[in-house]
Amino acid sequence: MNRRVSTVIVAACMAVGASSALAIPPAKVALKGARIIPVVGDDIAVGTLLIENGRITAIGEKVDVPYDAMVVDVSGKVLMPGMIDAHSSRGLDVPNENLPVTPFLDVYDAIDPSKLYFEDALRDGVTSVHVVVGNNCVIGSVSRVVHPIGLTPDEMTLQPAAALKFSVAPKRGWDRMAQMATFRETFRELDEYLENLAEKKYEESVEKKDEKIDVGPDEARKRGRELIKTEDYDDEHRILVKLTRGAFGAIIYAGVASDVSRAVALAGDHGFADRSTFVVGPDCYKAVDELKATGRPVVLDSELLYRERDPVSGDVKETFVPKVYADAGVEFSLLPSSDNSLAERYLNYQAARCVRYGLSRKLALESITINPARAIGVADRVGSLEVGKIANVVVMSGDPLDFNSWVESVYINGISAYVRDKDVRLKQLLGEEPADVAAESTDSSEDESPAEAPKPDGSAAEEKAEGADKAPADKSSSDKTP
Amino acid sequence: MIRQHHRRHLGVVVAAAGFAAYAGLPAGAADQAAVAVGLAIRAGKVITMDGEDSVINNAVVLIKSGKIERVGPREEVTIPDGYRVIDAADKWLVPGLVDAHNHTAGSLMDLNDMVYLSNPGLRTLETITPDNKLIKQARAGGVTSVLLIPGSGTNMSGFGTIAKTAGRTVDEVVQRSPGSLKIAQAGNPERYWYGVGRSFMNYNTRQTLEKALAYHSAWNEYEAGKVADEPIYDPIFHGFRGLFRREYPASVHTQIYQVVMTTIDMLDKKFKIRTVIDHGTFDGFKTAPLLEGTDVYTINGPRQYWFDRSQRKMHGNAARWWQGGQHRLGVNTDAPVVPQRELSFQAAMACWYGWKPYEALRGVTRIPAEALLIDDRVGSIQPGKDADFGLWTGDPLDPRSSCEMTIIGGKVVYDAKIKRRF
Repeated sequence: MNRRVSTVIVAACMAVGASSALAIPPAKVALKGARIIPVVGDDIAVGTLLIENGRITAIGEKVDVPYDAMVVDVSGKVLMPGMIDAHSSRGLDVPNENLPVTPFLDVYDAIDPSKLYFEDALRDGVTSVHVVVGNNCVIGSVSRVVHPIGLTPDEMTLQPAAALKFSVAPKRGWDRMAQMATFRETFRELDEYLENLAEKKYEESVEKKDEKIDVGPDEARKRGRELIKTEDYDDEHRILVKLTRGAFGAIIYAGVASDVSRAVALAGDHGFADRSTFVVGPDCYKAVDELKATGRPVVLDSELLYRERDPVSGDVKETFVPKVYADAGVEFSLLPSSDNSLAERYLNYQAARCVRYGLSRKLALESITINPARAIGVADRVGSLEVGKIANVVVMSGDPLDFNSWVESVYINGISAYVRDKDVRLKQLLGEEPADVAAESTDSSEDESPAEAPKPDGSAAEEKAEGADKAPADKSSSDKTP
Repeated sequence: MIRQHHRRHLGVVVAAAGFAAYAGLPAGAADQAAVAVGLAIRAGKVITMDGEDSVINNAVVLIKSGKIERVGPREEVTIPDGYRVIDAADKWLVPGLVDAHNHTAGSLMDLNDMVYLSNPGLRTLETITPDNKLIKQARAGGVTSVLLIPGSGTNMSGFGTIAKTAGRTVDEVVQRSPGSLKIAQAGNPERYWYGVGRSFMNYNTRQTLEKALAYHSAWNEYEAGKVADEPIYDPIFHGFRGLFRREYPASVHTQIYQVVMTTIDMLDKKFKIRTVIDHGTFDGFKTAPLLEGTDVYTINGPRQYWFDRSQRKMHGNAARWWQGGQHRLGVNTDAPVVPQRELSFQAAMACWYGWKPYEALRGVTRIPAEALLIDDRVGSIQPGKDADFGLWTGDPLDPRSSCEMTIIGGKVVYDAKIKRRF
């Protein structure tokens, strides 16, 4: 725990270049006096959320706060679970490799913890990010769910090896026939590989016993199959074997409606239909029935309002995509836009638009928290404010669906990871003089730059407390000396 | 009076011998005579770069058989009879500079064999070109040891060679081979084939190292008597055995936060290879906290600053590494990117961008020697070590100073009085 704690703090100080000794954040934190939106369960008008060692241990109107918990007064604020970005390649150096089929690669090797994207995610109240390669692939690489804070991918990781990425929409320069043929060829080759491996294992076992092979190839393979151990699979096939044998999930991208049936068939034909999540383009709403039949979660493209022009009349038809899924009873998650200049970059704005188009408030909030958590297989740990879950909590200044509300602070693993008052970059953007810089200019010995990553509450409070203590302490000591 | 005359006479012989070696002429009996007698240098200041950071003013350094015999203040060290004396009472005697990232000691034509994305079996030893034009310039800048490494066109481009900057044959100049294994974590190998990303590059590097480690382990088992059959000798992976035994480091072309982070994580923490971060530029310095508890060295440069667009702020790379707690810090030239003779300027630049002068001087002498595990021979002026020095008109970090004489293995290999290059 301590290792993790110090990591988060160091990450925040990284931009400053100095890792001064900082206090360890408190193990127990009570967020007191806020309206609580747990997403799963009823809202609490005024309540307390207790965090112990990174987990939520109590939540309610009246909570027994342990004597050693740090009590944070959040009266008038709103607590909600950290939002979840179910599909993003923005934490990677390049979204896709050139190779079309790369199930042996892992986004772990390309995650850049220093990307501004992660800092922005934190600032926007996103506490879990599913890092997946982009859609410009055939079979992509293994994805990972991370917290947007930490010095290395290991420290950020919430769920390693989350899913294998597929794209049914063609890779750049490819067509759909080549795309589908590559899937067929990959899985055919997998079968062949497994047959050969089984045969080889059987032959090896016979050789060891100094016996002769006295069975036909079919029987040899059958016997050999039982001899294969997990470590016998090579890198190129290991994940595909897991996927087809029921121990790995898939995240499948379908660009347009006609891709959906192929995406569903891909998962069905190779035995991972029950572990697939579909990421769908706006046009795919037309295939909502096929998606519904899978019973699997769907992640919607960030473009929620889909416009089509009728080729005969020229009339423009607008479809609010989430409504189609909601009416059909399909569980969906919303994505933020990758365009930082649009309001769609905020997940809570995306959810608010759903309410604007007639969806229930509950559904809108679920589609940015618990639904994406389920879609990426981490709902047992995050996605709602429930006892036992990881304390990924966002403190909003007001209702999350009100666009005048700000993210005031963010807790990840129960540790203060973002505090808006200390967000120097945000203050620069808004034209105020950054408080930190002003404070530092009086303390000329420090060569500190405006913090790149937001400072954790604990550290900043600690620094401030020290600074505030100094002057009066000196005074009182000089008073005492005579 | 007679003795002094004798000395002067010998001095001429030694100087002639030195000049002969330096000019690439065959050295004869005079050479042997010089070695047999010994050399004494009277210097105004000796920057020893020893463990105590001693600086000896008005010092005498005695040299015998190419090694340093004694270092001390003038009043304590008596110059034995027969020693040739170089009187440089107004000069600084500084350890020969060491560059841990160099491409000029070889042919320059054979830097990148772009055969595969990793080419583990190659050695720059085969490309060493003693006494080439650029190396002649290097020693005129007080540089005496360089690590010739292959380029960064592929993830793994071969084993480097540590060479002295004077000598006529490969055997004479080579200090150690393999000097290091060159790995380019990212930041050039991207251009291989139609382009590769970091996932693939890191997978590829890891695969090669895992194969090499498996080979090494198989030999270990055989040598420990656990396996009866001798493994099949593999010329590609045999060179990795010393790497895994930490006899020589990996020189890693790495920069930018994510890439340096991967270097530390993969090479130091997972494969437990002795790792030297070469370049470490852009925002690479932000990885400094990850280095706590490791013995990873950073040989920064040749870029000495980074402009952070998001903060609109200039950062001195070396100063930031230092500030972040990385004190195993040196600088390089990446010669010929920056001419090899300008290694001292690189250190001066690092100071201009906020680093500390003495540390920067250490960063071109003792630190790179430690990084390459050759500090038992070079990088400091201490008895028993190679007699490699530069005699400078002043602080090597002051761009107005010049190296007036370079001595390698007790031989004068550059003398500005005979032929000034800069």
